[in-house]
Amino acid sequence: MLVEHGADATVLAGGQSLMPMLSFRQARPSFLIDINRVEALDFVRDEGESLLLGATTRQRDVETNPVAAAAIPLLPELLGHVGHVTNRNRGTVGGSLAHADPAAELPTLVTALDGELMVEGPRGPRTIAAEDFFLAPHRTSMGFDEVLTAVRLPRLPAGTAVAVEQIARRHGDLAVVGVIAAIRLGPDGAIDLVRLAASGVGPVPVRLHAVETALTGVAPTTEAIDAVAEAVSAAVQPPDDIHAPASYRRDMACLLVKRAVGEALRRSEVSE
Amino acid sequence: MTTTTEPVESRTKYTGARIRRTEDPRLLAGRGQYIDDVTVPKMLEAAVLRSTHAHARIRNIDVTRARALPGVFDVIVGTDLAELAEPQPVIWFPIPEQRIARVHALAVERVRWVGQAVAAVVATDRYVAEDALELIEVDYEPLPVVADLDAALAPGAPRLFADWPDNVSGALTYRNGDADKAFATADLVVSGTFDHGRTFGCPLEPRGCIVNWDSFEGTLDVWLGTQSPNLARDLFGEVFGIPVHKIRVRTPNLGGGFGNKFDFYPEEVIAAVLSRRTGRPVKLLESRAESFAATGHSRDQRMDFEMALRSDGTIVGLRGTAYGVLGGALGTVGSGPPWASVLTCMGPYKIPNLELNLKAVVTNRSPYGSYRGWGAPKGNLVHERLIEMAARELRMDRATIRRKNFPAPDEFPYFTGAIFTFDSGRYADCLDLAMSKVEELGWRDRQAQARAEGRCVGIGYSFHIEPSGYGPSRILNLAGLTHSGFDEATVRMDSTGRVTIYTGQINMGQGTHTVYSQLAADTLGIPMEDVLVVTGDTDSCPYTGYGTGGSRATALGGAAVLRAGERLRAKILRVAGQLLEASPDDLDIDDGTISVRGTTGPTVTTRDVGDAAYRRLRDRLPEEEMPTLEEVDVFDPVNMATSFGCAVLLAEVDPETGTVTLLDCLQAHDCGTVVNPMLVDGQLAGGLAQAMGGALLEELVYDGDGRLHTGSFRDYLLPTASDIPPFSFFHQETPAPDIPGGMKGVGEAGTIAGVSLVASAIDDALRDHGVTVTRFPVTPHRLLAQIREAAENGAAR
Amino acid sequence: MTDRQTVSMTINGHVYTDEVEPRLTLADFIRRHCGLTGTHLGCEHGVCGACTIMVDGKTARACLMLAVQADGCTLTTVEGLAEGERLTPLQEAFWNNHGLQCGFCTPGMLMCATELLQTDPDPTAEKVRTCLSGNLCRCTGYDSIVTSVLSAAERLRS
Repeated sequence: MLVEHGADATVLAGGQSLMPMLSFRQARPSFLIDINRVEALDFVRDEGESLLLGATTRQRDVETNPVAAAAIPLLPELLGHVGHVTNRNRGTVGGSLAHADPAAELPTLVTALDGELMVEGPRGPRTIAAEDFFLAPHRTSMGFDEVLTAVRLPRLPAGTAVAVEQIARRHGDLAVVGVIAAIRLGPDGAIDLVRLAASGVGPVPVRLHAVETALTGVAPTTEAIDAVAEAVSAAVQPPDDIHAPASYRRDMACLLVKRAVGEALRRSEVSE
Repeated sequence: MTTTTEPVESRTKYTGARIRRTEDPRLLAGRGQYIDDVTVPKMLEAAVLRSTHAHARIRNIDVTRARALPGVFDVIVGTDLAELAEPQPVIWFPIPEQRIARVHALAVERVRWVGQAVAAVVATDRYVAEDALELIEVDYEPLPVVADLDAALAPGAPRLFADWPDNVSGALTYRNGDADKAFATADLVVSGTFDHGRTFGCPLEPRGCIVNWDSFEGTLDVWLGTQSPNLARDLFGEVFGIPVHKIRVRTPNLGGGFGNKFDFYPEEVIAAVLSRRTGRPVKLLESRAESFAATGHSRDQRMDFEMALRSDGTIVGLRGTAYGVLGGALGTVGSGPPWASVLTCMGPYKIPNLELNLKAVVTNRSPYGSYRGWGAPKGNLVHERLIEMAARELRMDRATIRRKNFPAPDEFPYFTGAIFTFDSGRYADCLDLAMSKVEELGWRDRQAQARAEGRCVGIGYSFHIEPSGYGPSRILNLAGLTHSGFDEATVRMDSTGRVTIYTGQINMGQGTHTVYSQLAADTLGIPMEDVLVVTGDTDSCPYTGYGTGGSRATALGGAAVLRAGERLRAKILRVAGQLLEASPDDLDIDDGTISVRGTTGPTVTTRDVGDAAYRRLRDRLPEEEMPTLEEVDVFDPVNMATSFGCAVLLAEVDPETGTVTLLDCLQAHDCGTVVNPMLVDGQLAGGLAQAMGGALLEELVYDGDGRLHTGSFRDYLLPTASDIPPFSFFHQETPAPDIPGGMKGVGEAGTIAGVSLVASAIDDALRDHGVTVTRFPVTPHRLLAQIREAAENGAAR
Repeated sequence: MTDRQTVSMTINGHVYTDEVEPRLTLADFIRRHCGLTGTHLGCEHGVCGACTIMVDGKTARACLMLAVQADGCTLTTVEGLAEGERLTPLQEAFWNNHGLQCGFCTPGMLMCATELLQTDPDPTAEKVRTCLSGNLCRCTGYDSIVTSVLSAAERLRS
């Protein structure tokens, strides 16, 4: 159907983002393709090196799934920030990713973890790296005739600690700024692995590569962590909106990176 | 009519008790009936096209395609409506010689705010009506926009109304004593500019109506989600030139009102015109998205004030100007709320010298309307912010400086210096009650512990006054209201001895039915289950002045119920006296049974009395008595009833992000006789939560082009369960001397106290940073900017 | 408009079947086609939570689903909570603790709290607040709702 109707058709997943747009008549597709009952896309699968989540898997099902939590320990906490339980009962993993809101949690997570998005279309299946998937707010590199089928989230190496920090106006709102951090300390006590991604600070979720580089191999001192602020600031292009000006988002991105890294470090100490 | 207060004997079985509401079971079972749940036969549904421009001339509106859409019955524009309807009415004229900007329910020739109604469609259902809206083409010629207060007052500003010299609708000044002299000789002057953002009541149920215009009967049959059915009826009559006896307004369950549903809106008139033209009943509901522009906006005000004090903390003067930021037309209540902010800005404090200015200014924003608090929240900002600033300057304790300036209980009735005379009060007792609870609940320890951990935790205070029970009719008339303030109730006992109360008050969630049942049951000596309260129909219920607003339902409506009940009780006893062959003076009623006081002899029940008054009269109803058992009372108060309270808040600020977390809240409160403490607590909590929303989250955001950026609940942020703290409430009771029963209003208390309360807690949390918040809502980025500014200033010093 | 489709679903134990436009929301189907007006619409964009119902045992916002999506599903609305004239312990607790004023948000609150108590019979006050933070109430200030839920939880446990 997507092939036949092209841009005139829209895929309806959990409806937690698309339905309000339809209600406001902001989206006006001639055809809605409801994939909610495509059972083949509703799964949580541990593939050893990674966790594979079907596109129509409900967010709440992932949040409460022990297999998912074992593979990606951050998932339950992170999903707790996605709307409210009732939203997550309906909202799907694929729906949130395809909706590509730069302030949303799941797009930021796949960006932080080097996740891969599996899509299928008339030209067959293909896999898109997270950082190539998100192009702009609500725009992805999927063709109009393609559909997201699953997302692969690579497991982090053993000993990696993770943290999520957010500033939202209210619980359950899209974050004004959010940061996901993953840190592992090497045998010498220096940081030997770091992953950082931020939401709400650009047209897409932002992977903070320069900051990761700056922190890798460094002893996790307060000074070292404070020193990354400039790199964070350079990496983000936050928007202005009624909830916060760009300058505030930029400052908060720097702050939340520090807090998230600090929290991950605390957690890695606890786990040792 | 002159009303004197009759003494009411105290018989309180129900009054003062935590009684669960009679209203609740059906609401809990999903059996309530709100406006969208009402359908009438042959009903059509309408939708409104709204202006996308803040200020523009309408060159042309093409409705051809909309009209041709299958399912569409009619499409109207402003000129169609103006043939049948007068411009929208205004009932409050507090400013003498004020320029009143009245417009029709649909814009004619010109739009003056985003969201102003420009066309309307009526169709088989709302889906089709909205389809048709998309087919209407409006050709606008944009005009220069007056987006905010500064733009409106700027020299050479574009004018909203060509025949006005500027954008000022009106101005007035209240003077008492000699403010200039007081300021010249004061030891300390503190001043501030306090800006409250635009917010609104935002009841969770949007507004709506069903109107059936029967051209052949000449009648208008209306279902309307309103707090003021009698006012709506009168205003329908004015707008359409229909005699009011041909207008019936029925009100179903209200999903919240908060003042927003007090006002009379264009949609009511649009639906009526569509009904007349189609010959069908027309339902018109606003969508939530529309509500952000179409429901009355409030609070938008700047308060530019200064307070003069002696070095011992005695306040000697207050002066300043309140700027009401009105919209592109005057709403039903005109500039009433900004006016009330001026009248309340001295608050509970004795301030001998006043110069209080009001300036009402029009802008290209939605019209200003009623919202719970009605001006008083901004008045409260003035006195509570300034007194705390003075306390800091004078290094005085915040409670001490407040206590020092209260009028003593024997100084009541106390004239404020501007219109209001406060009837009774024990302000210091109330403050002490609050302070003692802060100690008891261990908040100081909580604060000290948190601060020891490096957390910025503060305790905030707000003392408020709430002039309630609006109000003495003739005084309100004198102040510029073209409406009355009395309340009427009918208390009727039927042939089975059961009682029905009819009142013009509206039950919008505050529990009026329960309260009236309690009062009537106590007065009559019958079980509460024997009382039914009927509201919401102008055909069967009495007239009420004003409506359900101004915190008057319990004070004034309750007084009318009590007084009618007293007279009915006397008649019941007279009938029972005949039945028992005893003097009515020797009789008592308890639980519906009438007996000779102090004896165990024969008894009769209200059922016997009902039977004697309605059915088997012979030898049983005294010859001189009129059959039936019914009493009517109209209560017009001689003064307002001013309640008061002291709220305290524990809050934490994250100084690195500017986010504020509300941890715990209490309020000591005095609303005279407490009829049902559970319901009073509910009113206090709900009001405080709304104010906390206004203090931290809610704002209708306009840009420099007058475009509204808050069009959904994702942008207009109502507080959630995670944002609002737990509450504890403590009551003292200083009866209202002018109200039978002694009740004062409580509906607006929380909204009045809450914004300055949050501000006080933030200041205290950030006491090491030296921050005074003055602009609301206090959003994280605004607060962070202030914290940084204070740090820079501190470093500079 | 696309052709009407036949939908059939079980609501509160009764089967409702009708022909609807695909664009009809589930909320409007429940209210307009089934006459179950206890499910309220406060925003129609999925934020206020007043229209929350149970779809196959889990809460969902009826304004964020199309009627055609619920074809074959089993639904519970607020009207389906009480057993005849007997209110549930949760409804009773709302009544006893003044957990409602205007009653407009109440159906959604009851649905979300019912789901919470099914999954966590002994929630903390904070958890109740978090759980209900997707349901807006403009009247109560929430505290009495939290008290109601905690009191119902206690009664249900005993």
